[in-house]
Amino acid sequence: MKKRSVLGMITLATALSITLVACGSKSSNSSSSTANKAVKFPVSYNNTAKAVKGGNVNVAVVDDSPFKGVFNEELYTDQYDYDYMGPASESLFAYNSKFKFNNNGAATLKQDNNAKTITITIKPNVKWSDGQPVVARDLVYAYEIMANKGTKSQRYTESLQNIEGLTEYHDGKADSISGLTMPKGDNGNTMVIHFKQMKPSFNTSGNGYFLENAAPYHYLHDIAFNKLESSDKVRKQPLFFGPYKISKVVAGQSVQYTPNKYYWRGAPKLDKITFENVSSASITSALKNHKYDVVYGMPADSYNEWKNISGYKNLGHQSLAYNYLGFKLGKWDNSKNENVYNPKAKMANKSLRQAMGYALNNDEVAAKFYNGTRTRATTLIPPVFGKDVHANINGYDLNIKKANSLLDKAGYKKGKDGYRTDPNGKKLTIHFATMAGGSTAQPLAQDYIQQWKKIGLRVKLTTGRPIEFNSFYDKIQNDDKNVDVYAAAWSLSSDPSPMDLFSQKAPFNYTRFVSKKNTELLNNIDGQKAMDPAYRAKALIAWQKYANDEAFAIPTLYREEIFPVNKRVKNASVDYASANYLNWAKLAVTSNSTAKN
Amino acid sequence: MWKTILRRILIMIPQLFLLSVLVFILAKMMPGDPLSGSFQQGQSAAQMAALRQQYGLNNPWYIQYASWVGNMLHGDLGQSFVYKRSVTGLIGERAVNTFWLALMSTVILYVIAIPAGVIAGRYEGSKRDSAISVTSFILMAVPPFVFYLLALIFFGFFLQWFPTGGSVSSTYNPGTLGYVWDRIYHMILPALVAGIITTPSTIQYLRTGVIDNTNQDFVRTARSKGVPDRVIFNKHILRNSLLPIAAFMGNQITSLLGGSVILETVFSYPGMGQLFVSSMTSRDYPVVISLVLLFGFLTLLGNLLSDIIMSIVDPRIRIE
Repeated sequence: MKKRSVLGMITLATALSITLVACGSKSSNSSSSTANKAVKFPVSYNNTAKAVKGGNVNVAVVDDSPFKGVFNEELYTDQYDYDYMGPASESLFAYNSKFKFNNNGAATLKQDNNAKTITITIKPNVKWSDGQPVVARDLVYAYEIMANKGTKSQRYTESLQNIEGLTEYHDGKADSISGLTMPKGDNGNTMVIHFKQMKPSFNTSGNGYFLENAAPYHYLHDIAFNKLESSDKVRKQPLFFGPYKISKVVAGQSVQYTPNKYYWRGAPKLDKITFENVSSASITSALKNHKYDVVYGMPADSYNEWKNISGYKNLGHQSLAYNYLGFKLGKWDNSKNENVYNPKAKMANKSLRQAMGYALNNDEVAAKFYNGTRTRATTLIPPVFGKDVHANINGYDLNIKKANSLLDKAGYKKGKDGYRTDPNGKKLTIHFATMAGGSTAQPLAQDYIQQWKKIGLRVKLTTGRPIEFNSFYDKIQNDDKNVDVYAAAWSLSSDPSPMDLFSQKAPFNYTRFVSKKNTELLNNIDGQKAMDPAYRAKALIAWQKYANDEAFAIPTLYREEIFPVNKRVKNASVDYASANYLNWAKLAVTSNSTAKN
Repeated sequence: MWKTILRRILIMIPQLFLLSVLVFILAKMMPGDPLSGSFQQGQSAAQMAALRQQYGLNNPWYIQYASWVGNMLHGDLGQSFVYKRSVTGLIGERAVNTFWLALMSTVILYVIAIPAGVIAGRYEGSKRDSAISVTSFILMAVPPFVFYLLALIFFGFFLQWFPTGGSVSSTYNPGTLGYVWDRIYHMILPALVAGIITTPSTIQYLRTGVIDNTNQDFVRTARSKGVPDRVIFNKHILRNSLLPIAAFMGNQITSLLGGSVILETVFSYPGMGQLFVSSMTSRDYPVVISLVLLFGFLTLLGNLLSDIIMSIVDPRIRIE
């Protein structure tokens, strides 16, 4: 399974749907008898039947609005577009389940720390789906698309400016990127990237310091950069070198793929693949009618309705994501472009934050609200990154007694009304902001508020109800004074470094927490010493322990991404390591119609 | 009359201008902007600021408005932030879907409502009348989205007679007969429910019209002259009763377009209504504003159309 190189804000429930569901709020009791009901899904399914020749596969992509249709790796910004590129677009490099590069992909990487270079060599038979070979110029062109001001690409980031000459090219001071050289010429198979500084995460896919795709120069070069995004060569007949090619696009609704006969690993097995946009309200019924072979983005909050549909196997993996509780501890300084910590903030008391964490029963939330498709999160780096970087700590487990004693010790005294005052004896009201979406937002918020009431904290919902996505982030980004604590979620890139989310210079550090120690620990993760993987792993764990203790952001839930796959599909795998979604290159079917049971 | 029509069209310009200013200000007042929901790993604050600058999102609203109007006058409605393509092309693509859907709904509306209204009026007090009236009152009371959802669940999922989303399946190629049929097939269910839910007002207008006219003096005179019942009904009663219906047609079309917002969202039908909802949530200003203007323009046009039809069918009325 190919990683997504995009880091993003995601809604708590991920799917907004029009369904007639009534949901009452209910309080959770403090027993954790429902814990450990987490469901696990296999990454692959062993279909032993013999594959039929050819065959079609129908894929449903669950999304309530039409897809955008920017089929270019350097320009797309929408996750769904990425899904639709799946069977056609292949990354240059392959990697293992923990996202470390290996040499099994269409191109290989060689890192030279002394020369500060990475050399990329394309394998000899790698060809675009029109039969033209993939050459060095195509690799460079991807960078030009990304960095040229004309495309306004959001891929142009600070991390990439670590490549020599990229800024100059972006600013229009140079016609080409001086840090990208082609030793064997434009049509050679080699490109060398010259960096200002070598980074520890260079061996990890999704590190963001260089691109992992090529762009067909021979096909796209005659289109002006500012016209690229809207051109038919990107939207209707895009060119890739993956196992399938896009043969038809019905704007916003469906995409059809046929085999790429020039595919470098050998021709793929299926005759045709169809991807269709399906609304979240109708996907369960469609699945019960066996309309699709594979579903992307199956809504987790209706898991009980579709978990046992006959004819399907549910494959899954842990998402690169977590939900978290953030505490507002300062402000973003626009003039200095950095976070400023406010030691006098309402939530600046560490004991208060920890107590709020201990008051929550996320085991039960995961079991009751999400039917076990989510699990209680323990640290800010999910276990999917591997044991050596995911800290083995218990995080904030339900413990009302401990929460109460923390507050007592910190001077938050309980009044006659059962609510605590702040250490100065003043009335304490905490404002909690949460996002609207799905049927769980409101009852979940109520559950949290009731848990906090148990430890004597008066918590009120900001605006009185869950807030619409854009308004929510508008309040969070602008440090709205009516938000003291908020529930949000991050989707992560495949490099575990938390630098972009929690450092002093990171605009996305919405808690605005800054400390000397935090900066030091974060710098250890991405500094030169961390070129040694063992050192980096240690640094990552040290930071997680510190973050756990400081509790500026308390992780609440990890999520499982589930893919219902029809039993006629053969060789399907959602392991992060299998090239592209679902192992397209090897995918086959063992019957000409979908399995009914 | 031509003069009047021209004047009415000229008046539309300041009306639309006012509407566009209002909508623009309201749109900008919504929290967040198109970039607030999407960013990349490693993007620094400075780069986000630069991108906002490049898109002109940092300018005060009147400067953004002026540049938008400037472009619009050159026929350029701007670029969609979300779809990354020209708003004109995007809306054009969706407008076609909405247009055909609205047309089909309108046809269904009149095919059902006119006979039903006539029967109910002509046989006032009969069982047929009661059946039609009760049904139409129930329809009037049901919120449209509930009706849509029930129809979708029953006919789409339970009976599986109709597709449950989209405007065309990927099997057919444009230009073939199969393609045209498939598009119609996708339209039938939404058009049917949208048509049916709008029938009550027309049925009631028509029923009341027929009943009123039956008791008019000229009908009594005709009767006393011995004119056959059928002729009286077709010539005197029906014609007069259809007048308000004809006049109402322009408004009916407008309300169908407005109703498309809910209809298309429920049926995942990629038309202008659905585009409007999704653009609103993603803060895709250029699309939102263009759509509001378009809807506004169509409403004004619908009203004008109603007046014109009225003056043609009823010579007593002159628009001035």
